[in-house]
Amino acid sequence: MKNGGSDPVLESGEELEIMEPNGIELGHKENVYEFDDLVNGTDVDNEDAFRTRKRPDKDGSGQVSVMEVIAADEKRSDVEYELSQKEINLEKLRRIASMGLPDGGGLRATAWKLLLGYLSPSHDLWEKELTENRQKYAMLKEELLLSPHTEIAEQIDRDLLRTHPDMKFFSGESSFSKKNREAMRKILLLFAKLNPAIRYVQGMNEVNAEADSFSCFVRLLSDSVDHFCQQLDNSPVGILSTLSRLAELLKENDEELWKHLEFTTKVKPQFYAFRWITLLLTQEFNFQSILRIWDSLLSNPFGIQDMLLRICCAMLLCMKSRLLSGDFAANLRLLQHYPDINIEHLLRVAQDLSADTSSYSLSL
Amino acid sequence: MSAYRADEDYDYLFKLVLIGDSGVGKSNLLSRFTRNEFNLESKSTIGVEFATRSIRVDDKIVKAQIWDTAGQERYRAITSAYYRGAVGALLVYDVTRHVTFENVERWLKELRDHTDANIVIMFVGNKADLRHLRAVSTEDAKAFAERENTYFMETSALESLNVENAFTEVLTQIYHVVSRKALDIGDDPAALPKGETINVKDDVSAVKKVGCCSV
Repeated sequence: MKNGGSDPVLESGEELEIMEPNGIELGHKENVYEFDDLVNGTDVDNEDAFRTRKRPDKDGSGQVSVMEVIAADEKRSDVEYELSQKEINLEKLRRIASMGLPDGGGLRATAWKLLLGYLSPSHDLWEKELTENRQKYAMLKEELLLSPHTEIAEQIDRDLLRTHPDMKFFSGESSFSKKNREAMRKILLLFAKLNPAIRYVQGMNEVNAEADSFSCFVRLLSDSVDHFCQQLDNSPVGILSTLSRLAELLKENDEELWKHLEFTTKVKPQFYAFRWITLLLTQEFNFQSILRIWDSLLSNPFGIQDMLLRICCAMLLCMKSRLLSGDFAANLRLLQHYPDINIEHLLRVAQDLSADTSSYSLSL
Repeated sequence: MSAYRADEDYDYLFKLVLIGDSGVGKSNLLSRFTRNEFNLESKSTIGVEFATRSIRVDDKIVKAQIWDTAGQERYRAITSAYYRGAVGALLVYDVTRHVTFENVERWLKELRDHTDANIVIMFVGNKADLRHLRAVSTEDAKAFAERENTYFMETSALESLNVENAFTEVLTQIYHVVSRKALDIGDDPAALPKGETINVKDDVSAVKKVGCCSV
């Protein structure tokens, strides 16, 4: 194991972050990202195929310094090193992932599979596990997709055409996007078949990107599946209680803001955080930011839901001054169209929240 | 008739809800009315989305606060909370998908279960531009509207057809109810507290008629 070497690198990476004042609007979200091969990184051997284009420098001052490039490279080699170990240290992988995984090279894909528990930490087992899983999936497909529920299938088809219309991976008439949509369609249909109490709920198409993705999707949703289940709406694991936990968390961390939202302007979490939580924030940020946020969600030792609530709360705190000066309509508009924000800053605020959501979180 | 106005400057604030099956075009009706935008590939609405626009009715500024709700069955239990305080509704179906017309009755029931009995309802057949795909006749829809005592229009968010009319008609009707009520009590309507959503307590049905603007 490599000791000591990685931490200083991560810290220096942090120092280079450019802090932005709260609530600054940085213009429209750009869609300059190639799809980072969400979970199926193994199929792509050419790294350039999923390298993301650099976002335009916000300050225009060429802040992407040599130091930053070096830090990124070191982070990459850290992750590569970790993933090459015979026995992967999940603890360490979590720590690295929580600071953000490097783009490209399929590193994120492999790391996410490990964090989700889809791959075991023993490198030697991977080939066997993946082969088995892919066979299992092929069998499931054969058994269950012969007679798809037409109403569900129609709904899924309608939504697939509306999934990230701004991304080449999903939209357009290319054979590439058609193939991806077809894979997603099968995954969602299969999930609906296997989960009759939940079936298909609009929004799932946003969360999922064929065999490996399916298993990862199932694991990912196992933590939040209750939110999709109508029968559980009023139960302690349902979406309504999760929304009230968010309100609790905000109250604990900033009572002034909580009061202003809850009573003065009557902007309830139901009105803005419902989508944040059910879609794991995939509609609120640009794609690169979503990947970064998911690194934190998946690497949180207390589970996805704990980090998700923290980030939602941080999203409110980071907009505090604007929210305090806004009325009902202005605040709702702001929260339903969350402005671009420094993601590292947001995640730090989330991490530093004083409350422990794990006490009422049933996850993990 | 109507112009885009500064947000704060209004005499009345009315809350409207957009309801109907998934994929009938609720969000595009909203974006057409509030931003004059249409997006063929808009995302499905999760939970609720919200937009405002002010229009002039008589010499008053009426601000519409419009709640666009998710259409899928699963979301109904949650979205019902969004109905609170609504004084107007656009109940939307897709003229090319008959099932969305069949489901309108359920939507109507849900609406009436959760809102004031005097809510002004506009029954809207959207996607009227897709003439070759039409599956619901104007006559059937009109008959339904008459039976249920709601207003009715066919619209096309894509072609910007009747969208303005549908919203304006609802807002105008609500305004008439409210101002008539105020007149009856000899009250100044402008004296109504700003920022408060007005509840239609008066009997709206008396002024209801089926407005027909088929295409």
